[in-house]
Amino acid sequence: MKGRTGWIGVALALAGVAMSLVTLWLVFFRVGTDFRQGIVQRIFYLHVPAAWVAFMAFGIVALASAVYLWLGDERADMAALSAAEGGMVFTAIVLTSGPLWGKIAWGTYWTWEPRLTLTLLLGFIYVGYMMVRRATESPERGKRFAAVVGIIGAINIPLIHMSVYWFRSLHPDPVVLKPDGPTLDADMLQTLLVGLVAFTLLFTGLMILRYRVERARHALDIREAT
Amino acid sequence: MKSRHAEPAWMRVVVAVAVKDLRIEFRTRARSFTMAGFVVLVGVLFNYSIDQTLVRPQEIASGLTWITLILSGLIGVGRTFTIEARDGAFEGLLLTPAPRDAIYLGKVIANFLLVYAIVLLTVGVFGIFFHLDYGNHPLALLLCLAAGTLGFVALATLFGALTASTSLGESLLPILLFPLLVPMVVYGASASGRLLAGRPITEVMGQMRMLTAFAVLALGAGAALFGQIVED
Repeated sequence: MKGRTGWIGVALALAGVAMSLVTLWLVFFRVGTDFRQGIVQRIFYLHVPAAWVAFMAFGIVALASAVYLWLGDERADMAALSAAEGGMVFTAIVLTSGPLWGKIAWGTYWTWEPRLTLTLLLGFIYVGYMMVRRATESPERGKRFAAVVGIIGAINIPLIHMSVYWFRSLHPDPVVLKPDGPTLDADMLQTLLVGLVAFTLLFTGLMILRYRVERARHALDIREAT
Repeated sequence: MKSRHAEPAWMRVVVAVAVKDLRIEFRTRARSFTMAGFVVLVGVLFNYSIDQTLVRPQEIASGLTWITLILSGLIGVGRTFTIEARDGAFEGLLLTPAPRDAIYLGKVIANFLLVYAIVLLTVGVFGIFFHLDYGNHPLALLLCLAAGTLGFVALATLFGALTASTSLGESLLPILLFPLLVPMVVYGASASGRLLAGRPITEVMGQMRMLTAFAVLALGAGAALFGQIVED
């Protein structure tokens, strides 16, 4: 593990893992049980941080993509790719933990709940981003195409968000138990915050490590070409 | 003869590209015929997919129209760039000093006219098939479909250029396009559905505004990013 970024990546990822363990301990042994939803509410402490990371990762993808198109700096593309792969993992966590919770709290795996729908679409934008990268003859072109997909996706996400919320207001869902009030118990809020920090650290660490892999691959490509 | 050597005026490029694309279409009629046949046949299949003892076709005609717009539009717009890939025609166009955003807008205009003509055909055919009476504001209905078509074409033209130069080709287009079309379908199907049901125009103003915003945003993003896609 040469270079400073490598150690920072390892340190952040390890801190993320440690904090995740703390989060799990808090979730299972410390935090109080929600009196309406019961034990299933505890998935919330993993679900919400994962969702936060998934959307933050997409923000990084869009920003890094814009920088890549603007300056043509390979490192920006590597950062975008690393964020996209990490983001996909956390999107998958959201999309599995959400329906599991929904089955018990709402009585169904899937409803057209706007945040759920938005996350599913976000997942598909990530899929498109990854597919485009691999579908071109010249890798340089694939990177540019992916950057375009990332930017357009980011521009569109607020519109998708507005539209699915608006659609929801047309069809109030009778089985929905409103999951959370705006007021959260202090220990619940604490657990959630620990979870948020844990997943953010984990994601950042993994992203940095993934970035280093990509950079090493890039350096190897150049060496083999010359 | 001064203008011949000057850099082509932006607007002239837009018009020239649009006219060229429409002329190709007019001479071959390849896309319009397949799209026209497609929407009529989709109407037939829709008719048999609806059990009329359970649901009235008029109630879902709006949604069916938007889905048909998207699917027939994919057939049409998806081919824009594959037609030109032959004999390096598109490379030739890129070798000229024509601004990329002007080429893009020219193509969007040509695609819009083609897809919108098919949309009008769809509305007519579905009107006959499903006995629609077009509500009290048929003009607003056409306007709403025009705004939706423009937004669709703006994104589809951009991503059509993108997928044309990938190994997956047009099969990649729905994956890239459909997630982004959700706002268009939400607002468009709601607005046209209410208009078809004879609701007042004030009830759909919000949706119309959002559809227009969607189209403007898609056009702006497309014009800004098209150059990144076609450059080698």
